[in-house]
Amino acid sequence: MRAVSKTKQKSIARTSLIRTLVFTVLILLVGARFDAYNQGQLAVVLILFIGVLSVTLLTGISGQLSLGQGALMAVGGYSTALLMINYKLSLWVAVPLSIITSALAGLLLGVAAARLRGPYLAGTTLVIALAIPTIANRFMSVFKGDEGLPVDVGYPPQWFSNLFGEPTYEQWQIYVALPFAAIALFFASNILMSRTGRMWRSIRDNETATSLSGVNFSRQKIFVFVVSSSFAGLSGALYGLRGLVGPSVYPVSLSLLLLTAAVLGGIRSITGAFIGTVIVVFLPDWIELVLGNFELSEQVSNFLPALISSLLLILTVVINPAGVAGTRLHRHK
Amino acid sequence: MLNIENLVTRFGSVIAIDGVSMMAQESKITTVIGANGAGKSTLLRTISGLEHPSSGSITWKGQSILGKRPEEIVRLGIAHVPEGHAVISELSVEENISMGSLFRRRKFKSDVSAAMDEMYALFPRLKERRKQLAGTLSGGERQMLAISRALVSRPQLLLLDEPSLGLAPLVVEQIIDSVNTLCRTTGLSVLLVEQNANTALSVADHGVLLALGKVVADRPASELKADAQLRAAYLGY
Amino acid sequence: MNTFLAALSSGTSRGAIFALVALGLVIVWRGAGIVNFAQMGQAMFSTYIASTLINSGNSYWIAFFVALVSGAALGALLDVLVMRPLSNKKQSELLSSESMRAAVPVIASLGILGVLQALAGIIWAAEERGFPAPAKQEGFTFAGNVLPFTSFDLFVVSIVTVTLIITTLFFTKTGIGLAMRATALNQEVAKLSGIRTNRTRTISWAISGAASSLAGLLITPTSNLSPNTLDLVLIVGFTAAVVGGLDSPAGAVLGGFILGMVISFVTFYDTPEDVFLAILAVLLLVLIIRPRGILGSMDARRV
Repeated sequence: MRAVSKTKQKSIARTSLIRTLVFTVLILLVGARFDAYNQGQLAVVLILFIGVLSVTLLTGISGQLSLGQGALMAVGGYSTALLMINYKLSLWVAVPLSIITSALAGLLLGVAAARLRGPYLAGTTLVIALAIPTIANRFMSVFKGDEGLPVDVGYPPQWFSNLFGEPTYEQWQIYVALPFAAIALFFASNILMSRTGRMWRSIRDNETATSLSGVNFSRQKIFVFVVSSSFAGLSGALYGLRGLVGPSVYPVSLSLLLLTAAVLGGIRSITGAFIGTVIVVFLPDWIELVLGNFELSEQVSNFLPALISSLLLILTVVINPAGVAGTRLHRHK
Repeated sequence: MLNIENLVTRFGSVIAIDGVSMMAQESKITTVIGANGAGKSTLLRTISGLEHPSSGSITWKGQSILGKRPEEIVRLGIAHVPEGHAVISELSVEENISMGSLFRRRKFKSDVSAAMDEMYALFPRLKERRKQLAGTLSGGERQMLAISRALVSRPQLLLLDEPSLGLAPLVVEQIIDSVNTLCRTTGLSVLLVEQNANTALSVADHGVLLALGKVVADRPASELKADAQLRAAYLGY
Repeated sequence: MNTFLAALSSGTSRGAIFALVALGLVIVWRGAGIVNFAQMGQAMFSTYIASTLINSGNSYWIAFFVALVSGAALGALLDVLVMRPLSNKKQSELLSSESMRAAVPVIASLGILGVLQALAGIIWAAEERGFPAPAKQEGFTFAGNVLPFTSFDLFVVSIVTVTLIITTLFFTKTGIGLAMRATALNQEVAKLSGIRTNRTRTISWAISGAASSLAGLLITPTSNLSPNTLDLVLIVGFTAAVVGGLDSPAGAVLGGFILGMVISFVTFYDTPEDVFLAILAVLLLVLIIRPRGILGSMDARRV
């Protein structure tokens, strides 16, 4: 395969940069108009968006179905927490370092899983997702078991407050999550449009042909895991910074949540990932909005969001597998 | 017996069959020939129900079979041997043949094993290998197996798609001979799609030449075979 | 010595249940070509129905029967409502890739699992319930010692053995069994043979549904019933099916017992917290050394 020319690489980078800037500006504008509660939700959207991107890259683009992204988020979360607590590092150092540990975890996962397909891969990653919390309980002295490790985003530095005024807690959460989300978006956009993205797509679309054309796709598959795990770890680190890192923060349902978001929004595009995340995060609020006037027993209202999102998942997969974003938006899918 | 009128089958924007009208006569061998991509396989797949046409009509013994499911069309007496992967490698020879007669077990219980014996008589090599997995068979044996599976359902019309594909000439001759004999002795109607026009026209009664989804010629096989001009233009020899 | 015997007997009865779960997975795999992650959700649902019947005064055996029937019905319903439209869906660019075609039914089954758990929560409020056993849970007495093997354990093991025999015979000797296998292996050729593939697949789902209900009924007496208890059982069942060979009913049973023993011994000799790691280790070991499973055929890994 001929290398992509320097000009092509530059134009890909430029497009990604523009997308990232537009994204950042939009978030800031929208965030400014939200009330405190919704600002908090927006921060969660930004955080989970990164996690959903990990699913988009792994499953949507390279076709490997993993149900263990939540476990990789946990790796990122625990790394950050331990670095911040035991080594007193600031989150701005700990989080990037956690990306590295997550990438390593992804490497291990990739090596184990590269030979697997379909339900074998899904099942194995599910087992891993379930196994991770038990590690936390096993080595309680380090991971503090069910109790977990408390961490948070802290307070904005003085220079920031001096420049922009003192942000509220929710606003600060957005300001912490946003740069990471933007960077994630940039890299995801780059990958999708690049030669690497094309290789991953060929793995998804036709394994036999790809292997015949000389692409070492075992290595590529592992690489996808590494990249996707980095995204998941970053997301997990930020997720933990909402207040606690512990097994209850990263249950198996978190992996399913990411997958649901990716599928609902459109598993093959970044736009789809974002739409899906918004749906999944705001769904309970929307349900409450619609049904708030009805007298629903607690029994029903507790489980209604889960019921509806699962139903939406089924409907999406059966009726329109391409999700909300569909296949129209991008040339490269 | 089988009447096709103005059949059109599309794949997205590609028109594979473009207004084909033809007949398959009772107890005769009709062959559909043409170059690669002419739409021959699509034609058979549309008749057997695997593909849905966008317009036109297909009538079998007076009834329209348009839009019926493949499993229903088989029960009406049309058996299709698709090209390529027509057997299930993970099942044994015996199981592969049995598959074809499953739906007859209730009504024609006694005939089912008789039918199977007939297949073994027709293709003795299959009898030798009947407990073996179909995946271990040679190409020619697999083709025989596929045909047996179709025949054991006691069809009145056999749709045979490129039986010669990938097989040695001697094996092809054997298979075509068996089918020919079957037609002449039992009155089975055959619709044979073949790229090897020579072989096909030698056994067939009637020939239909397809090009780019359209019928170019529809004549007795001997006439087609003799028409050198047509052969050169469409079949390249 | 006592610990060893206790571990052995616990391993046997647990193993029997896992074997049943694995069997259900194998049935759907052989009959419908997919791995049904919603299976234990179905089991949980039928067991709740049975539990409701028992709590309102019906006998255990009536509830047992109703649970099996409702399990079969639920399985058939899921196939008709979700899996059939899924498999009949032709045009979609997404489904043109091999891996997405394999992934989509898995995702659908996960959605079904979510729906069943949420519904159970809504209907029965996710309350933990006890569940009775039809046989005594005391150990047999032999030569003056109480063995850690109860009549309930015996009940479980016998049911599983019978089910295994019936299933194997069913798949290999009957016409429907052949139709189910053909449908799962190559739907097109099956259709061209006159097999009504939609109906056949629904039957696979119904049978598997009944098998999973059975598993749910058998495991619940020794734990409690809530929408999430059986998640862990699914994982073990899946691993058992993989270990034994996803297309082999006998393999499912073998895998079930192996895993039952592994879990049992880890629980008794090590700590229960290591169970998941042990399961993971077994799974990875099999997938690396012998991906087709112990009794699986060469094509067991075909997706």
